[in-house]
Amino acid sequence: MNTRGIIVGKILLACFALTVLIPIVVILVWSFAARWPWPILLPHSFSLRGLQEIFGGYSGALQVLGSSIVLSLIVALLAVLIGTMTARSLVFYNFYGKKLIELGTILPIIIPSTVFAMGVHVLFIRFGLADNVVGVIIVHLICALPYTIKIMTDVTAAFGGKLEEQASVLGASPLQILKEITLPCLLPGIISSACMAYIISFSQYFLTLIIGGGNVKTFAVMMVPYLQSGDRTIASAYSLVFICSALLVFVIFEKTAKRFTKNGSNYFFV
Amino acid sequence: MKNFRLAPYLLNLPLVILSLIFIAGIVNGLLQSFGLIPDLGLYEFTFKYYLEIFKRPDLLGSIGLSLYISLVSSLLAAVFGVLLSLLIVMTGKAKGLTMNIVKIPIIIPHIVVAFFVIAIFSQNGLLARLMYSLGLISSQTDFPALLYTDNAFGIILAYLWKEIPFVAFFVITIMANISSTLGEAARNLGASQWQTFWHVTLPLCLPSIKNAFLIVFAFSLGAYELPYLLGATMPKALPVQAYIEYMHPDLLHRPYAMALNGIMFFVSLFIVVLYYRLLQQNIRKVNGSE
Repeated sequence: MNTRGIIVGKILLACFALTVLIPIVVILVWSFAARWPWPILLPHSFSLRGLQEIFGGYSGALQVLGSSIVLSLIVALLAVLIGTMTARSLVFYNFYGKKLIELGTILPIIIPSTVFAMGVHVLFIRFGLADNVVGVIIVHLICALPYTIKIMTDVTAAFGGKLEEQASVLGASPLQILKEITLPCLLPGIISSACMAYIISFSQYFLTLIIGGGNVKTFAVMMVPYLQSGDRTIASAYSLVFICSALLVFVIFEKTAKRFTKNGSNYFFV
Repeated sequence: MKNFRLAPYLLNLPLVILSLIFIAGIVNGLLQSFGLIPDLGLYEFTFKYYLEIFKRPDLLGSIGLSLYISLVSSLLAAVFGVLLSLLIVMTGKAKGLTMNIVKIPIIIPHIVVAFFVIAIFSQNGLLARLMYSLGLISSQTDFPALLYTDNAFGIILAYLWKEIPFVAFFVITIMANISSTLGEAARNLGASQWQTFWHVTLPLCLPSIKNAFLIVFAFSLGAYELPYLLGATMPKALPVQAYIEYMHPDLLHRPYAMALNGIMFFVSLFIVVLYYRLLQQNIRKVNGSE
């Protein structure tokens, strides 16, 4: 490859990166803008009005953010657990219906989510799962699983399982094998699939709205009316808090993981 | 543990239960679209609701709009996603800052991306302000209306912002592998950079590119958020129209909602079947040439 090509490539890549970064910078500025009328390019003055609205207490946004984080953490935990189990069966075993299971793992990303949402809502009403948190957790889980299963299958296949056999031959108990071998080896996959499942759940708007029916208020559901309103300072502040809280959870995931292993690499952000 | 015969079945139990819920939901919706709703006293299997949809110009408009949005955004996302992935592989930046920036759109939800588009492309958005200060336009109304229009510019733009990095992320691992092994070999044998990409790297990446396209297409066909936040009042995209029919106080509108869903379902099913057909043909071609 000639050097001129590489330089052009780097410039194009920088353009891509800028396209990603510019909107984020724009909402960062907007969320601290006091007044930013047409047609000026930068705000006249700055204020903390947007963040005060969220953290001020009377909007209730903080409680919703808290319960929303807990809900998505539960989804992430269950998704990792189920993803790890399914991946294990797909990598290590041959069994009847394996092809069907493989099909089942991709169905939720191939079938449009509105179709699923309304169909399952009618069912959930009958079984008392509509308008409550359990129903919302179930549908979030269904959306997240294709991704966690894919990640965990890749990691499990790479790890192989030879180490487990060796430990077993050397007399380790199943619990010891799980704690000393399996978990540390799968940890990178566990962290990335937990992040993936968390963000899928935390971002859901339509499914939460329809299945939760207004009873289950997540941060995503709460912020949509603000995003539609003309008040861009408030809308930006909500967006900013959404993104930062997700990143914070990811950092906590990684820090927790690092406490369990000496391996110091980052998982989501390489 | 590995010799325990029931193990794989037990390991799959939670997934099977969730899959059954998923399938039951889809089947239930489809049955309702064919007029089978015992709760409402409808017991007769009928194609009536589908036929009526195809007679209503506004609903036909919804179908057309949704297909247009999905096709345009997914095709562009596939092309630019592959380009992005190629650029990253070519410049050797698969790790580090650039890659982390590329990952950002994956964690930002569609509802926030919709707001990005509003803040930048609306008539008093940043782009309009920039053009005003450069003297290109003299008032807000001189700036072309890009949002809430029937060409769905805002919706497609928002999808691209999310989906180009998604496609790149999906393709980059395999592309980096091929490029460092077979691509290297091709170049050693005298192929140019362009020949290597066109005849070696791209064909070998095609299965994962197609996979990414399929996921992105099905998603944009059935997603409610972006057309709801950025769409025109007429025609509305299929998911938005279906939800309106679904929430209609008159429950007899429900079969229409389900029939609109049914159309989305059958379109994505058609694409999936087509995809697997092509995949099978490719496998046969490869096996046949041996």
